Amino acid sequence: MTRIDLIELQKIYPRQQQPAVANISLEVTSGSLMALLGPSGSGKSTLLKLIAGIEHPDRGQVLLDGQSVLGLPAHRRGAVLMFQKAYLFPFLSVADNIAFGLKIQGQRQSTIQSEVARMLALVELPGMQQRRPSQLSGGEQQRVALARALVTQPRVLLLDEPFSSLDTTVRQTLQEAVRRIQRELGITTLLVTHDQSEAMAMADYVALLDHGRLLARDTPRHLFQRPPTRSAARLMGISTFLSGELHGNQLQTSLGSLFVEPAGATNGPATYAIRPEHLQLLAQPGINTLPAHVLSHSFRGEHSEYQLRVGDTTLRMRAFQPITIPEGGRVYVQLPPEQLFRLESENDHDSKGACEHA
Amino acid sequence: MTLVRQIVRRAASASQRSLLALTLEHGPWYLLQLTLAVLLVGPIVSLGLYALARSWFYPQLLPLEWTLQPLMRQLSSPATSAALSSSLLTASSATLLALLLGIPAARVLGLRRFRGRDLVLLILFLPNVVPPLAIGMGLNILFLRLGLAGSTLGVVLVHLVPVLPYAIFALLGVFERYDESYELQARTLGANPLQVWLWVMLPLAGPGIAVAALFAFLVSWSQYILTLLIGGGQVMTLPLLLFSAVSGGNPTTIAVLALLFAAPPLVAIALAARALSSGAATVGQQY
Repeated sequence: MTRIDLIELQKIYPRQQQPAVANISLEVTSGSLMALLGPSGSGKSTLLKLIAGIEHPDRGQVLLDGQSVLGLPAHRRGAVLMFQKAYLFPFLSVADNIAFGLKIQGQRQSTIQSEVARMLALVELPGMQQRRPSQLSGGEQQRVALARALVTQPRVLLLDEPFSSLDTTVRQTLQEAVRRIQRELGITTLLVTHDQSEAMAMADYVALLDHGRLLARDTPRHLFQRPPTRSAARLMGISTFLSGELHGNQLQTSLGSLFVEPAGATNGPATYAIRPEHLQLLAQPGINTLPAHVLSHSFRGEHSEYQLRVGDTTLRMRAFQPITIPEGGRVYVQLPPEQLFRLESENDHDSKGACEHA
Repeated sequence: MTLVRQIVRRAASASQRSLLALTLEHGPWYLLQLTLAVLLVGPIVSLGLYALARSWFYPQLLPLEWTLQPLMRQLSSPATSAALSSSLLTASSATLLALLLGIPAARVLGLRRFRGRDLVLLILFLPNVVPPLAIGMGLNILFLRLGLAGSTLGVVLVHLVPVLPYAIFALLGVFERYDESYELQARTLGANPLQVWLWVMLPLAGPGIAVAALFAFLVSWSQYILTLLIGGGQVMTLPLLLFSAVSGGNPTTIAVLALLFAAPPLVAIALAARALSSGAATVGQQY
């Protein structure tokens, strides 16, 4: 059980303008699984490398259980990395691959054998000792890589998109396996991913990263439903933002006046947001409705996406039930007051139109 | 010989077809194989005949009498065994040094892109363009000043001039296809840099390193001019002994020495071919 503390970490790669990691402070409580979620180039993999000791920060501290590990080389940090590829050593059998870390520690042969068998049982591949890595499927290779990482009893497990090259069903079973094992062993884990649903499904906490900056850190549920800022909201798939003047429980926007839940908010300029699946289409005007045209609609399997024209802006809506509205038909889009939530203002707040679609 | 047997068997099995059609169909291919076999094996066979012949005169196709005497005499001669061990010593030392210098160099050249990389490759290529006589003359002066001329160490060092580029170019191919992430993986699993080298890098790059070592050994083994210039006749390697025997003119002695000279490379190639055919199956098979 190890707590990770990152304190004002900064890393700029040579010949690059933007910092890969810009002043990130983050705490990962011991025994928890934190997902680092962000688009590619957001610095999430770099963060793992800084903790593992493969890269070195320009500034800041990496603490494991309150002790700095920056002075320790990678092989003495007890932080094991798992990559997108399994990187099983092709010249070793499955058993020897798993035993790699134990042999380096100088463990006895009998210990190694029983540990390898125990680990293979844990990752649900019993009896695979003598296989070659090339005889395994992609999912099995990642399971062996997980066993090889866990057998050394690392203080910290660092997962760098280990599921992203697997197909959907294999990915899901492996995600569940990793989550189960992580809970069983209580090992502090950081998971890098760009897959929002993966982060939601696996993590105790999610840290949202973009351009090397930490945008938000919260539980998956709260981050999904109430992202704190506009850029965090964008990364969580929200594209409807309403800016205007708040008076009591009314938000005056250029599209019209909308009711919101005041929740102790001060009057003045404010920005509210709403998740695409919370917008509703009505045939008649009602509370918080705006007249709209359906511009287009696309069927996505589990849900349908609608592009709506409201005034001079476009809203994106998501519906899980089919809606029978002719394209170009006149409808009313409802923004339920209880689903509208206020965003904190950001330094780089852009003052575009009242309602904007990213 | 298998080739001949194969032709005979094919001919027999296709007896209903005309021999002419068969020859026209497969002729060019078999002719090529036969030519290659004659070119490669022929000289060695004739060396063997010369080395073992007691009396062999014009009209006869094969020697009348056979003998092992010249072979045994050469093998037991102190000059020959000294030359043999001197050759083995210089070639294996040069190989070892070339690998020690070449592996890190090829690793950087293969994995990194940096300014001046092309220039480094060009400079590495130069020793194979400039005549060895010119290099040898120039280095001889330097080595005389350093007191290296006439010593085995000096010969080993001068052999590195042609050996190192061969080794590096052979290793370059290995490291251009090398994935460093295996090493990062090993690091985070607790392996220190030395353990990463021994337990990850060497097994991964092993077959390629074996090929490079073979190249290096053969290039050093067959050096004549550089050994003569820097060794100054004090370091007698096998090629030097062979050359003096050639000017002596005794065909049996020449043949025996030439066989001795050809044997280690042949053994090395045979071993390397085996190591590669089994090693190639394990490397790069994962993805």
